[in-house]
Amino acid sequence: MENPSSDFDRLVRTLQWVWLTVAILLVGGIIAWIVHLIRTSWTLGDVPSASIGISIVAIPIFIVLMSVVLYVFWGLRSDGRER
Amino acid sequence: MADTADTLDEALLRPIAETGRGFYWAVALLSIPILWGALAYGVQFYEGLGVTGLHQPVSWGFYVTNFVFFIGISHAGTLISAILRLSKAEWRRPITRMAEVITCMVLFIGASQILVDLGRPDRLLNVILHGRYQSPLLWDATSISAYMTASLTYLYLPMIPDIAILRDRLGKRKLFYSVLALGWTGTERQQRILNRAIAIMAVLVIPIAVSVHSVVSFVFSMTLQPMWHSTIFGPYFVVGAIFSGIAALIVAMIIFRKAYGLQHYLKPIHFRYLGQLLLVMALLWFYFTFAEYLTGYYGAEPEEMKVFRAKFSGPFRHFFWGMVLCNFVIPLVCLVRLGRRTVGKVLAASLSVVVGMWLERFIIVVPTLSFPRLPFPEGIYWPTWVEWGETAGSFGLFALFYLLFTKFFPIISIWEIREGREVGIKEVEERLITYLPDEVEGKT
Repeated sequence: MENPSSDFDRLVRTLQWVWLTVAILLVGGIIAWIVHLIRTSWTLGDVPSASIGISIVAIPIFIVLMSVVLYVFWGLRSDGRER
Repeated sequence: MADTADTLDEALLRPIAETGRGFYWAVALLSIPILWGALAYGVQFYEGLGVTGLHQPVSWGFYVTNFVFFIGISHAGTLISAILRLSKAEWRRPITRMAEVITCMVLFIGASQILVDLGRPDRLLNVILHGRYQSPLLWDATSISAYMTASLTYLYLPMIPDIAILRDRLGKRKLFYSVLALGWTGTERQQRILNRAIAIMAVLVIPIAVSVHSVVSFVFSMTLQPMWHSTIFGPYFVVGAIFSGIAALIVAMIIFRKAYGLQHYLKPIHFRYLGQLLLVMALLWFYFTFAEYLTGYYGAEPEEMKVFRAKFSGPFRHFFWGMVLCNFVIPLVCLVRLGRRTVGKVLAASLSVVVGMWLERFIIVVPTLSFPRLPFPEGIYWPTWVEWGETAGSFGLFALFYLLFTKFFPIISIWEIREGREVGIKEVEERLITYLPDEVEGKT
């Protein structure tokens, strides 16, 4: 690791946060889409049980995937910072 | 992180550090089918789906065949990487990265086939805005999104230590590698975090992968169409997917072994093991195919028999028997006795399986639509140059993406190879002692 206050390091840190934000937005977008489908089927009375059944499985999977990414991101960066 | 151990694996960094003439020739060669595909899509975009061979009743042709085929190939990464990692198979080390890359690349290519098949890509917005979860197509969209996210994560996590090596040793693209390395320095705590995350992903990615190809099969089996409405379609598709995935992985391994001089890493023993795996899958695929067709034949339901005869002795017989030859006969002949020329035999079998599995997808999709249950006029499908172009372009694009990946990241995991040298040998010995019934002499 170089001098943590250098411009290069600041740029790296910023881009890492951008990268993480994009990942969160991607997963968040998919979850929002699934929720939108549930809401639409609920509003139209269009067999909401199917939407709810699938989302009960799908949404936790995306949350777990995001959690793993966050765990690694946080863990590696905090360790690097401490050093 | 960089130390003398890295110099041992110089061959793995060379493709990234240096770019030879061969690379440019390969890109030039691959750009031919890609340009053909782009031209074909351009024509289709302006003229509409009328320029293809698709019509009523056959509204799914090459595009959906390619979609199922590419999604199937994506199982290479899951099976080889996740299952072998979880089962602590030491021979996986030079293979996992290649398998994971195949998964990510073909998922994008496979999913894009649906866009091409739509004819009007702007209508994809309708799926997002007005989708209905009663449709298996929406199940597909959801499961493929999950699989894509999981596969990208599962590819990226084990790459972090290697990206750090590139950051410290390569001297170019420093910003790019620094961002992706996430401050990796290889401390014990960082390794613990990464290993835990990789283990979670390895467990998670297997059921997701199985669900993806089951859901792809549901697109067919949830209809009441002859020879589609089958309860074994889920596992049948999963077996076929793993089968074609292993074959595609072997082909990729052999190409890069030759191109980048990786003979020290990808040894005949790896191809022997993968060949045995391919043989098992060939037998399993044959068993499922036999069960599927025997049940249909024995039932002798008139609508089913129309499709059955079209495949066995009718207009699709060449494709059907070609599929049997490529997926069962040739692999059996090549793989039953892997004496000498292991790599050559395994390559021949794998190329045969890749072709055979594409034929299998075609044989599932098209004949049923040609002889539908409802009183539609029957019709035989034949693709135009547009579909051929799209197909060639898709394969070219996959190969190009793969090639470009090897110019940015090591195609064989450096840290896993190193871990195998430093820790793996000792671990295997200790594990072996625990398996044995008696105390090994000199060991406790």
